[in-house]
Amino acid sequence: MSDRARVRWLQALSVLGVLLAWEAVARLGWVDPLFVPAPSAVAGAFTRIGRGALAGLGDTLAKTAVAYLLSVTLGVGLGITIGSVRTLRDVLSPFVVVLYGMPKILVLPWIVLLLGFGTTPAVVYGTIHGLFPILVLVMGGVRDVDRNLISVARAFGASTWQLYWKVILPAIVPTVLAGMRLGIVFCLLGVLIVEMFAGVRGMGYVLGSLANGFQAPELFAATALVSVASIAIVLGLDALNDRLSHWRG
Amino acid sequence: MRVVALRAVILLAGLAGWELFARLSNPLLYVPPSAALPALERLLTLQSYPDLLASLLLTLREIAVAYVLAIGAGLAGGFALGLHRVVGRAFGPILAALYAVPAVVWYPSLMLFFGLGEASKIAFGFLLGFFPITLAVLAGIRQVNPHMLVVARAFGARPPVVFAKVMVPSMLFTLVGGLRTGLALTVIGVIVGEILGSRRGMGALINHAYGLFRTSDYVALVLVTLVLIVGSDALAGLVERRAQRWTA
Repeated sequence: MSDRARVRWLQALSVLGVLLAWEAVARLGWVDPLFVPAPSAVAGAFTRIGRGALAGLGDTLAKTAVAYLLSVTLGVGLGITIGSVRTLRDVLSPFVVVLYGMPKILVLPWIVLLLGFGTTPAVVYGTIHGLFPILVLVMGGVRDVDRNLISVARAFGASTWQLYWKVILPAIVPTVLAGMRLGIVFCLLGVLIVEMFAGVRGMGYVLGSLANGFQAPELFAATALVSVASIAIVLGLDALNDRLSHWRG
Repeated sequence: MRVVALRAVILLAGLAGWELFARLSNPLLYVPPSAALPALERLLTLQSYPDLLASLLLTLREIAVAYVLAIGAGLAGGFALGLHRVVGRAFGPILAALYAVPAVVWYPSLMLFFGLGEASKIAFGFLLGFFPITLAVLAGIRQVNPHMLVVARAFGARPPVVFAKVMVPSMLFTLVGGLRTGLALTVIGVIVGEILGSRRGMGALINHAYGLFRTSDYVALVLVTLVLIVGSDALAGLVERRAQRWTA
């Protein structure tokens, strides 16, 4: 058997094995079904939560999309501005690093206090979460653009506009893509945390209320739904990334 | 020199602007720095929250337990995946896919399973710390020069010796970096867990202050928690530099 086939077999068998063992353990009554429902019960719960969970997921993804758009725009814009102007970079870097490293969870109660419950705090917090990784990466990317490229462009009389548009921007495309790949998970994380902490809609709220209501099968089904959605988004971005880097050569 | 001066000016202007804005609009909501400092003093002299020390110790204990578990499981998982080619290729992608899920989606399940107490925070901190450690072990194993392994074996080194004398030193750099990231994420995990729902610990105090609109106490508690977080990372950074000097 080829290595590839063995890998596939091992993956399929172990996933199946875990599911079967879990089902057996649950059926034999070794664990309390109130806390650990059997996979068959979880599968059944999908139909029960279906509509509500999908609406919640849609709500969460819409907030995430807005937060993501904001963090990419702000992150890339600020990153290029701060990264390319020497004085700005020298003066502001420590502030950016501190804000990047600061655990955002600590300001969450304050954001909720200011903005109330609902969509706005989720978008704002998601943006804060996604913005800094992108900003830090892009700042570094702009700083590390080959100096020779810039000198040559200048020597041949490139205007500032041309310098940014034709030299710096193409040079940092891989960094921006890496930042976008990293940012999406952070945005989604931020939105979900707000929904759990102070949500009235969305997947985080759905998960939180299912847990509070001890509806374990429904909770596991909803968790699986969000997980699959986020894996699909990240894999989609990866594929896009591959295609774009292929195109860039 | 000019750069440092400019930084100081920005910092001071920011604080002054904040003070002014907070006083003119809503001091309760925006907590001017002049109100945060007395609150910090009240907190540190145990006037506003007499159980501060107990909460701090509880949070520290949760972090310590979660981190020890994450190190154990992360090292075991990483070496199991890294040293066996087929196993690694089978479970590596599964692990990477799970890492792409925002970890907080697991937290309600953990809370249901482990309850509102310490155990759910430990479990969540463990979960967050486990991934970077495992991934660092995997990356470290890929960095080991295969020629050195062959040479060591050819000279008759037995597997434990190869492991201790060849593999560990050449992957130490990456490994220690992963351990540091793991600690940072474990700390965040425990604190996120406490803020999302707990009865004791720093997160519970923060929620209490926020819920009662005691905003200046909230800011003081956040500052203390921040010291805890920054301190743990500084300690890890110290260990990291030691290890780097040792390998260099």
